[in-house]
Amino acid sequence: MKTKFLRILTSFLLVFAFGFSVQAQTISGTVTDENGVPLPGATVLVEGTSTGVSTDFDGNYSIDASSGDTLVFSFVGYASQSIVVGSSATVNAVLTPDTALEEVVVTSLGIKRNVKALGYSLTVVDGSELSDNKTTNAINALQGKVAGVMVTGSAAGAKGSSRVVIRGTSSLTGNNQPLYVVDGITINNSNLGSAGVWGGADYGDGISSINPDEIASVSVLKGGAAAALYGSRASNGVILITTKNGAGQEGIGIEFNSSTQFDMLNTGLRDTQTIYGQGRDNSKVSDPIDTYQAWGPKMDGSMVAQWDGVARKYSNKGSNLEKFYQTGETYTNTIAISTSNENSNTRFSMTNMDNLDIIPNSTLKRNSFGLNSSQKLGDKITVDVNMKYILEDQEGNPRLSDSPGNGNFAVNLFAPTVDVNDMLGEGGLGRNADLTEFRISDNTYSQNPWFAAYNYVNSSEKERFIGAINARWDIKDYLYVRGRVGGDRYDLHKTGVTPWGTAYQMNGSMNENKSTFQQYDADFFIGTDNLELDTDVSLTAFVGIGSNVQEYNSAGVSGSHFIVPGLQNVKNTKNQGSGWSYWKKQINSAYGSAEIGFMDYAYLTLTARNDWYSTLSLKDKKAPNNDLYTSASLSFILSDALDLGSSVSFLKLRGGYSQVAGGADSPYALSLSYGIYGQGHLGASLGSISGGTIPNSEITPFEKNETEFGIDLRMFDNKLSIDATYYDNETLGDIVGVSASATSGYGSALANLGNISNKGIELLIKGTLMQSDDFAWNASINYTNNTSKVVATNDTGGNISMQEPRSRNLRVTHIVGEKYGALYGSSYVRDASGAIVHQMVNGIPIPKIGPRKILGFGVAPTQLGIGTSMRYKDFNASILFEGKTGGQIYSGSNAFLIRNGHHKKTVPAGGRDAGWVPTGVMEDGSKVTTSIPANQQEDYYRRTYSIAEEAIFDSDYMRLRQLSIGYNIPSDKLDGTFIDKATISLIGRNLFFLSNSVDNIDPESAYNNSNSAGLEWFGLPVPRTIGLNVNLKF
Amino acid sequence: MKKIVLTIFALSLVFSSCEFDKGFEEMNVNPAKAAQIDVANKFASVVLRTSGGRYENWRASLIYQSVMIQHFSATAGYWSGDRYFRNDGYATSLWDRYYPSAVKEIEDIKAQLTASGNSGSEMGMTRILRVFIYSRITDLHGDCPYSEAGQGYINGILKPKYDAQKDIYADFLKELEEAVAQIGSSTTMGKSDLIFQGDTAKWKAWGNSMMLRLAMRMSKVDAANSKAWAVKAIGNGTMTSNAHIAMIAHTDGPEGINKNGHGEVFDADGNPRMSKTFVDWLKDDPRLPILAARRSDKSTAIADLIGMPNGSTSATVPDTSIYAEPNRAVITHKDVPMVLQTYAEVEFMKAEAAQRGWISGSAATHYNNGVKAAMQMLSQIYPNAAAITDAQVTAYLALKPYDATKGLQMIGEQYWAATLLNEYEAFSNWRRTGFPVLVPTNDPGNVTGGTIPRRLIWPMGEESTNADNYKAAVAAQGPNDFTTRVWWDKL
Repeated sequence: MKTKFLRILTSFLLVFAFGFSVQAQTISGTVTDENGVPLPGATVLVEGTSTGVSTDFDGNYSIDASSGDTLVFSFVGYASQSIVVGSSATVNAVLTPDTALEEVVVTSLGIKRNVKALGYSLTVVDGSELSDNKTTNAINALQGKVAGVMVTGSAAGAKGSSRVVIRGTSSLTGNNQPLYVVDGITINNSNLGSAGVWGGADYGDGISSINPDEIASVSVLKGGAAAALYGSRASNGVILITTKNGAGQEGIGIEFNSSTQFDMLNTGLRDTQTIYGQGRDNSKVSDPIDTYQAWGPKMDGSMVAQWDGVARKYSNKGSNLEKFYQTGETYTNTIAISTSNENSNTRFSMTNMDNLDIIPNSTLKRNSFGLNSSQKLGDKITVDVNMKYILEDQEGNPRLSDSPGNGNFAVNLFAPTVDVNDMLGEGGLGRNADLTEFRISDNTYSQNPWFAAYNYVNSSEKERFIGAINARWDIKDYLYVRGRVGGDRYDLHKTGVTPWGTAYQMNGSMNENKSTFQQYDADFFIGTDNLELDTDVSLTAFVGIGSNVQEYNSAGVSGSHFIVPGLQNVKNTKNQGSGWSYWKKQINSAYGSAEIGFMDYAYLTLTARNDWYSTLSLKDKKAPNNDLYTSASLSFILSDALDLGSSVSFLKLRGGYSQVAGGADSPYALSLSYGIYGQGHLGASLGSISGGTIPNSEITPFEKNETEFGIDLRMFDNKLSIDATYYDNETLGDIVGVSASATSGYGSALANLGNISNKGIELLIKGTLMQSDDFAWNASINYTNNTSKVVATNDTGGNISMQEPRSRNLRVTHIVGEKYGALYGSSYVRDASGAIVHQMVNGIPIPKIGPRKILGFGVAPTQLGIGTSMRYKDFNASILFEGKTGGQIYSGSNAFLIRNGHHKKTVPAGGRDAGWVPTGVMEDGSKVTTSIPANQQEDYYRRTYSIAEEAIFDSDYMRLRQLSIGYNIPSDKLDGTFIDKATISLIGRNLFFLSNSVDNIDPESAYNNSNSAGLEWFGLPVPRTIGLNVNLKF
Repeated sequence: MKKIVLTIFALSLVFSSCEFDKGFEEMNVNPAKAAQIDVANKFASVVLRTSGGRYENWRASLIYQSVMIQHFSATAGYWSGDRYFRNDGYATSLWDRYYPSAVKEIEDIKAQLTASGNSGSEMGMTRILRVFIYSRITDLHGDCPYSEAGQGYINGILKPKYDAQKDIYADFLKELEEAVAQIGSSTTMGKSDLIFQGDTAKWKAWGNSMMLRLAMRMSKVDAANSKAWAVKAIGNGTMTSNAHIAMIAHTDGPEGINKNGHGEVFDADGNPRMSKTFVDWLKDDPRLPILAARRSDKSTAIADLIGMPNGSTSATVPDTSIYAEPNRAVITHKDVPMVLQTYAEVEFMKAEAAQRGWISGSAATHYNNGVKAAMQMLSQIYPNAAAITDAQVTAYLALKPYDATKGLQMIGEQYWAATLLNEYEAFSNWRRTGFPVLVPTNDPGNVTGGTIPRRLIWPMGEESTNADNYKAAVAAQGPNDFTTRVWWDKL
């Protein structure tokens, strides 16, 4: 089937390969713009032949052509013009600027296409959007900027990974993040470590190490039609990143960019009670296990023995968060050298980024080197080389979620009478002189936050190389061959140490892991550009083959029980272990695309691709190991086909249907395997089944089908533009880990049974509100709404269980008929009117624990970005508000703050001492009238902690996402200096919330970026950022 | 031009003749894993899984059962068993850990032995251990997946049904009888038999002792069957000395799997104290200074050993260090063995059988043998324990001679003392016999109406991952709470 398709398309191209030669004379002339300014580098082609030249610096050209030939003049940003050669040997052309109609964008496989021919939605973001107001993980700067793209931050600090989802999630349990393609090469975006229910640290993801200063533009291919040519790995959309090159630089140019940013604790978020001090049951107790409990009486300034036996004033000690967290600093300096001439351009850049996070002792250092070079070898061959070399050091990655090693946990929970600065210990490191933890509690898991920050090691060193060579040979002006090879390789060295002297693990432990990931892509294709099949019919087409190979190799050593205290070396441990893991997988592909244009106002694009997967190959397997998928899209430029009047500058209707396969990411998942683990026991070796998933040998990839319709309307000389898209996609046969009862011995079983759909709207409205030489004011609104639906989970429609928070009374769960990722947890029992039902326990009314039910959904369906920018003379300013709505979050921090008497709701209106009557009804339906005395209110909230519903919040917010104020130093002031251009700008991020429906925390505080969205548990606070950016060009 | 045409033509031929999945089947074989491994390696693993990790030994064993049964007491709020709080994750920890490890592995071993036609010692040992594993689960939770459990891969059963405990017990007894019969004089397990080091006679004795344990468990609900199986078990030959104790040796590392799970808990958690109930009962007992030491100064002087009352809170007991805790010099280490069943228990069960008139012989003799074994096994289990001499035993028995009029109580109390740190067994035997008579704690936050739990709950996750079977189990056994009684505990 596949090969047949290829044969047809190849033969098709062969027909057009038979060009014929022409009798020629030399024609010369000048190409200018409408003002008579020469256009250097404009293209002159003899239509229907391979003959073509470029104009020189003065816009002059000469070309061999015959009388009656048509010369086609084109230049980027200008409408191309055709002139028939007459008797004269001189043909001059005047080109007029194109009003957006000839925008060229980079699409799948690096093919540049005219925007108007695209039958699908594609958004291009200028690189300055990511570099001017930069984030340590570059992709976070896209937050709120692109309709249809949800970027969700996490509570993992500067080194954290982020979650990017385009047009809803397409897989229930598999990868839902887009494919990242940098300069034509797919790069790895795996998570390098993240926190889960039992804690852990985030080590960032693949995209986080891309240097924002070097990004020229980002194209977001949202739908299946746009992404189909990338195959299965693009089933969640594609983000194409093009880095800067040296084109257009006269001579040698030097650019220097320096940015300084400060991250500060957002002190406006935390709002807890400061009336009652440490204690239990309304009495002051100094038992060292209860430093977290704020159930004491009113603070009265009396002297009370505390956790360390020292008597201190029983009074509010102020914000422990402000004492513990510090001002973070990020310094980014980039120097770039570029040069170009008519046949080549080159850019080399170096960036040093140095970050200190807001939690003590946590740093990120990154050195990035980039080299982009493009060479023309003669007229016909162009070779591009792109290389990136990145060195990254992470230290002190904060542990998140569960308490071990997580300083955020303790510091959030100390009672108001407890001062974290009393816990500094020896040298402020939270330890004693003998290196043991300076204990703050009898519960060894209640950790000294200073000890956690300064004594644990969670660090990584990463060395990464991304390189690609792209070659294009224009055999004829309508026929080319392209080849590309590229790779992404990183070596990662991670170290984790639970230090000697840790209270819960007195002898300590450590692990070191070295891993190497490498992937190689190779593609080869032949194609034709704008081949005129008939006067009104053009063809742009190509066919190709490709291969992607990925290999991972990891070796680690670990040890526990340090022999020499303080010496952190695996060899210095009593119990040593080692491990090795390896996998390799490959996808081979054949693909083709044809765009048929009619009268320059209607375009039909057809694509097809077949992927073969090593991960689905098994001896004697019956189901196929490959899949074919196709797409068709149509673009119709109504404003070109009909006269719509002068107010309409441009009107395009577009629509498309696509299929793309996906999933099947995991190698070796088709059969059961066994492993020997540990180091044996008393002479016996230990072996068991590997993994907790039941394998299925007959797995196939899933298929995702998408329909999209869109309109692109530009009015009033492009002053107002509206781009709207409606899409509807469905994933069939998603590979899911069907929930198995743990009593089956396994957590899940693999099967092609998942089915999920997404429908949504993407809207982008841009307007130029004012425009003059001195003043310009633009505004834009982007709106995204995605409605997901879990259509099928497995044969019985059972739930798919995802992650759970540490309280374990809730689980992110996919439930048939519901939206993606329900927060499914224990609830209140309510009567018909919704009142909470209480039961009498030991004389006080306490809420009954109800069954698990849907309490919300972790993924917010709606996103709104409102931005405006202004320029007055040399000043410019821009501001972006961003908000999400419709989602919920389970806030473990709030659950604990309530249980431990910190949350303001634990202080009744009349104070605790007056007693408190909960709102609700008793089991017999009567209103609750029993007042709970101060010494039993704690019992009430200990019960509500078990009820997940208590800690569910809407995660709605609207915030000032970014702000920047810039000044371009006028060039006349730079005369006489060696500086050509200078820009200085002040930036701010996350400065304040216009609204925030979650108590005490930032609503975007998930502790990982997994599919289990909506779980929060003592992460690093999301900071406010201000900064200064200086850009100089020499 | 001709060249181009030829090139393209050649390329199109290359494209269409590509074999796009060449080498893929070989690539998709994991070089780091094996398709099958020796059953001995699996057996060593499953024995350690049965001993359990810190996780379930902390939660199900200590946080719930050890304080419910008033061996220990603790003021920390998360020691949920002391004041009968509900903590789902703690209450279901044995279930959560056993099914995906011990159960899965023992079923895999059984399937491998079946496939290879093994019907000898190895199969017999596997079946005995399998009964032990499931008996812990069913005794703690009641009805539970058994006949269909652990077979997610073997038979593709993702949602096992819950078997009635009555049926599970019937199968247990049949299994033990057949298993003991098929054990020969030797086994190929060798060092992988981490319980008896390949001594098949001891396996037979344990199989019969397990049969006696499970038979006695039915005394309240089905006395006739209880008696019949007890008599059969005794007749077939149960443990006859402390040399027969079924226990799993541990080492302090190199990894968690090697360590005694209780020992790991004591390493991490300073909360547990000796219960006042237990310390008071141990008055005049030579075991007291071996098992207990004062928290503050590690003193084991009898006068310094005071038990902390169960139900204490940090408000009622501001300083818990004045009380005795499990003796950290002796019984809390990570390299002490995990005990599954002892000879002393067997003697106490025989004493009970004699007392009930089910077997001939003197209840007093069995009682005395049991007390002696229970005292003298301590130095065998815990290397740091001072040996209790025959004279000390004699003196103790002289002080507390067997009194047939309250025989069942005396036996029950001794059994309770002998099963310290085998909390599963202590909790089961207390529920069956009602001895020792324990005074429940009564904290405002309790979820049991102020009574000692009669079981631990099923995981709420089963409500979604195994909904139909879970519902059927609730309908059959009763509400999924701490006060519902399991089948053999029914009055």
